[in-house]
Amino acid sequence: MRAPLVILILILLAVLALVGYNSGWFGSPPVPGAGPPGTPTASGATTPSGPAAEPEEPVGDGGVEQLPDEAQPQPAADPAKTPDAPSAGSFGHFPAGDLIAKSGSGYLDRTVWSPDLCFPFAEAAFANSQVYGAGGGMGPKDKPSQCDSSNYSLPWRDNFCESRGYASPLCVSGKGHQGQDIRPATCKKDLHWVVAAEAGIITDVGTYTVTLTGAAPPHRVYRYLHMRMNQLAVKEGDSVQAGANLGKASNDFGGTPTTIHMHFEIRSGVAGTSTDGKAVKLHTFLPPYQSLVAAYDRKRAGQACH
Amino acid sequence: MRSPSIRALIAAGAALTCVTASAQTTPTRPALTRPGVLAAPATVDPGARPPSPDGIDWRGAVGGLRQSGNTGPGLGRGLDPAAVDKTKLPILLPADADLMGGARLYSFGDYYSITANLSGARVSLTGAAETTPLPAGSKLNLPAVGPEQLVVQRTVDGQLASFVRYGVLYTVELRCDAPSDARCRTEGFVRGLVAKSTVVVMGKAARQAAGLGA
Repeated sequence: MRAPLVILILILLAVLALVGYNSGWFGSPPVPGAGPPGTPTASGATTPSGPAAEPEEPVGDGGVEQLPDEAQPQPAADPAKTPDAPSAGSFGHFPAGDLIAKSGSGYLDRTVWSPDLCFPFAEAAFANSQVYGAGGGMGPKDKPSQCDSSNYSLPWRDNFCESRGYASPLCVSGKGHQGQDIRPATCKKDLHWVVAAEAGIITDVGTYTVTLTGAAPPHRVYRYLHMRMNQLAVKEGDSVQAGANLGKASNDFGGTPTTIHMHFEIRSGVAGTSTDGKAVKLHTFLPPYQSLVAAYDRKRAGQACH
Repeated sequence: MRSPSIRALIAAGAALTCVTASAQTTPTRPALTRPGVLAAPATVDPGARPPSPDGIDWRGAVGGLRQSGNTGPGLGRGLDPAAVDKTKLPILLPADADLMGGARLYSFGDYYSITANLSGARVSLTGAAETTPLPAGSKLNLPAVGPEQLVVQRTVDGQLASFVRYGVLYTVELRCDAPSDARCRTEGFVRGLVAKSTVVVMGKAARQAAGLGA
């Protein structure tokens, strides 16, 4: 009599256990912020829930970072923004994921992927969009100059998921900009130093790219684009310390026009879940904005890079 | 009367524990390995080195090393021997002597990066033991995930492919000098390099970790 009851209880408990695991009752796989020092930290994570309307690919004579015939991003609608005020003592900046209107759908998670990032400019700098800002190919028509004061003033603005044709799996459309545009302190090229975001090795120098691989786990890969390549302070194989001069901000782009800025990428190996529920590990692009904000706060507070 | 009930509850508790434990270990399982490599004769007693603490499938890697035969040492000859010995990972190379001639290896022990030159382009090859977990709410918008979790991503200057073999996350990246270079504008070239990435090289640290001795 009791045997079927016991079996039934066992089955129910097993089902409950499975449901519980999937719901995170027993703890989920480690999340950023829970790991050892050096692992990313998160706060106030919010994930876009809906598609957003994307404009045509940005093309034009200024701020182009891809060729006109490349694939178009999927149409989508702006997700609900979750603006958060900059922390007390911080500088003026829009929250992560809050892109210029009609420039794409931002990644709203607040993870600081590179907690000890050394701000990649030696001086002040301005993170914003070089395509959708003044003087950009998709910028406001009444502000045709890239040297417009709006590009060289606060607040900063995220453009990681800005509408481009490049693979960006963390963006709603799966495509985006892969990095953050940062303008130097002034609208003058070949003057302002770009520096190493972390101690590591220069593992590649291209015609308009410099790649720095971090020495410490998880060995993040930082890519710097558009420096004056014939005046670099480093070469492939060099070991550098955090904050070391790499080169000067410019507009080198293999003959393609672009504005004076530095495109900054953070890449790393990640483990996550695809939108169709499959566990996957891949090496991909991580949103640099929150790490840059935190690094700039440290810089403004006079903290040295290490 | 009560004794069977208590036993039943204990059994249920044990079942619950087993199910929970097995579910929780799922994310840390070593990643997929190539079926062909798994079929290779085992040279390391799997019982002697049960799942490696570093998550690397050393048995599969040693199978790959043996399948590489004499190709590996030949292809890896140009790499800095000290950097090869320092790398505690199976180093994966494309079977392409022209590409690997003059290639430079930068080793961090648990991560390596190789840079090789092509005419008008460069190729980067990396291997990593560690991955960072994404926040639970972040989903990856990927058009397609192939065998061995192969994902190809278009970059500003080329194509970036990553895949998992022997529990190691490998990348093959093509970077072109000219943005208009056809090799970088479609996936074909980088996929070809991935398909050729069959040669395993292991230096002292990797051999030791694999139980082969230094």
